[in-house]
Amino acid sequence: MKRFLSLLVAVALLVSLATVTASAEDKFQSHKIKLLSIWDETDPTSNGYILNELAKQYAETVQGFELDYEYVDITEIDQKVTTLMASNDLPELCIYESGVRLKTVIESGQILDLDKALTDLGVRDYVDSGAASLLIGLVDGVGLYDLPLGLNVEGFWYNKAVFEAAGLDPNSPPKTWDELMAACEAIKATGIAPIVQGGADQWPMTRVLNAYLVRSVGLDAVKNAMDGTAKWTDDNYVAAAQMFQDMATKGYFAAGMNTIDYTTAVNMVMSGQAGMQYNGSWVTSNLTSEANLAGENGIGYFNVPLANDSSTLDDYSMNCGNIMMLSSAKYDAAVADFLKYLVTHIGDYAMTNQKSFKGYKIDNMPTDLPVYTQIVGNALSTAKGAFLWFEAKMDSETSTIAQNNIALLYTGEMTAMQYMQALQDSTDKNMK
Amino acid sequence: MERVLRDKKAIALFVLPALCIFVGVIFVPIVWTLIYSLFSGMPGVNFTYYGIQNYIDMFSNKQTVNAIAVNWKYIAIVTPCQVGFGLLAALMVHYSVRKYKTLARTLIFIPTVLPAVAVAQMFIKMYALTPNYGLFNSILDKLGLQSLIQAWLGYSDTSFAALCLMDVWTAVGFYTVIIYGALVDIPDEIIEAARIDGANSFGLFRRILLPMLKTMITTCFVFSFTGTIKMFESATALTKGGPGQATTSMTMNMYQNAFKFNEFGYGSAIAVIILLQCLLVTLIINKVGKERY
Repeated sequence: MKRFLSLLVAVALLVSLATVTASAEDKFQSHKIKLLSIWDETDPTSNGYILNELAKQYAETVQGFELDYEYVDITEIDQKVTTLMASNDLPELCIYESGVRLKTVIESGQILDLDKALTDLGVRDYVDSGAASLLIGLVDGVGLYDLPLGLNVEGFWYNKAVFEAAGLDPNSPPKTWDELMAACEAIKATGIAPIVQGGADQWPMTRVLNAYLVRSVGLDAVKNAMDGTAKWTDDNYVAAAQMFQDMATKGYFAAGMNTIDYTTAVNMVMSGQAGMQYNGSWVTSNLTSEANLAGENGIGYFNVPLANDSSTLDDYSMNCGNIMMLSSAKYDAAVADFLKYLVTHIGDYAMTNQKSFKGYKIDNMPTDLPVYTQIVGNALSTAKGAFLWFEAKMDSETSTIAQNNIALLYTGEMTAMQYMQALQDSTDKNMK
Repeated sequence: MERVLRDKKAIALFVLPALCIFVGVIFVPIVWTLIYSLFSGMPGVNFTYYGIQNYIDMFSNKQTVNAIAVNWKYIAIVTPCQVGFGLLAALMVHYSVRKYKTLARTLIFIPTVLPAVAVAQMFIKMYALTPNYGLFNSILDKLGLQSLIQAWLGYSDTSFAALCLMDVWTAVGFYTVIIYGALVDIPDEIIEAARIDGANSFGLFRRILLPMLKTMITTCFVFSFTGTIKMFESATALTKGGPGQATTSMTMNMYQNAFKFNEFGYGSAIAVIILLQCLLVTLIINKVGKERY
């Protein structure tokens, strides 16, 4: 009997040991996860740095996890993603651009429905509702298939000392387009370039054209031209291109602006070599750095001035910058767990370390925010409506034409009608 | 050894591995590209059979037609300049700069080994207008030619000229070294004999040196042409193909269509056209090179 009971106990112990082992094996095994990124992870002001640091923190808590960080220049990400899509080999995590390009990837069925995934993980409400709404709108309501890595407002950033020297009140920046033109005239008279954009990178110049287009034609100007409700060659659209060219002719832009790169343009405003620049709130990482010669409160911000009553100053140009998408084929428990960690930590980490908004809930808002971050926070909290950047709703070819030709519009080698006609021809070709 | 080299099976055995690699690396991609050019869209996403329509569409596509024109304009200017200046520099180094020959050769060759992107960044600074004048505008300023000061990369015609200048400067050293090597092989006795017969410098060049350098110059033209028809990295780094499409080449147009507009088929068709142009012009250069002298 004793022997039988001993045997029974031994079997019971063995069974329970097997069960425990099985349970331990049921929990996911983490592994190397690849991130294809456009940011240098060693630059402390970049999103790459944040993602890499959060991965390091996560790796301390989860055995077997490793982030395989691959950097690709932003000009090559399209080619890289296209090639990977063709071989159905998108990495687990990939930085990309929202809008028309992302919609193509969504239609291929290769990326994860993040609305569902985040809901299943119980962290859907960590994504800012405004950011989610922007991202969903950019893909025509198809769904949430990408994560924000920024929540930016755009507008004019100006050097207050330059304003003062021109006899302008730095605490009362322009609210109408006419006031903006008057400010440009005043700054020009002091010998300083009124507005400088990173024209060598093309998109900073189309932003200025878009600013006037949206305020004069309406918040949906680009969307209407792309879906055929309006035409790029309509008088009011051509007038917007003409306004851009007139500003160039009058000398309101820096000389040779289409050859100035983005970084040089930002430095020119910070150092007082130019008065204003249209830019997004991502520039606050430059403004809060020691490179900003204007100092802690030397740069101001104002929303895109009004041209008529078609919109209000509560309507801001907003975007989420470059986004992150996840491969649906490679989504497993390990990736899900890292995704959950990322979404629940990135908001606070970015605010604490970079003083920037990334489009996520922030549990612990620092009390000592720099002036520039407060400016952005105020704009985000007062925004009632949003409009998108010029190329947001354009197909790739029309977007390329818009950016390539803006330099010719600036130099006068192309008329306003020719510029808009080129956009219309491409829209007609690609939207049929 | 002779028996081995006469044995066809032995020859095949030695040649076969290299031939397989050559076929795999060169011919397979060409055939693959040809097949892709008959399709439209992006592989794995929306790739559909399109026949020869891609080739027909090329004639009505303004961007592609412009790219072809820009590319040929670039070839017509840069190729003769690269080989021509290379020949002049080789003659100068061999016949004029006797004492500092090695130093001269080294200085002329240095630009050839510099990375294209680094050279482009250097030239961007040299052509700069704002916020500070670059080298060219500074020289113009010092010479009192303020009316010529401009954003050299900001206008279509000046940006094209700026690109040509940069690419000629970068490549001249390569052709100098090649032609110099051929010059060194010409026996001095021939030159002396020609001089004794009364040949002046131009006559010496025209009737003695040029015929003897014919093969090498032809080779240089082929090298230069294959480089200029593939105009890509220098234009991308210096001007990104702009302003507008002033410096957008066929390969850049091909890249744009394939990877930005997701039209792999159309991009492949452009690649086929580039290949055909390369083959045709190489044949012409070789024929002219053989016939002339």
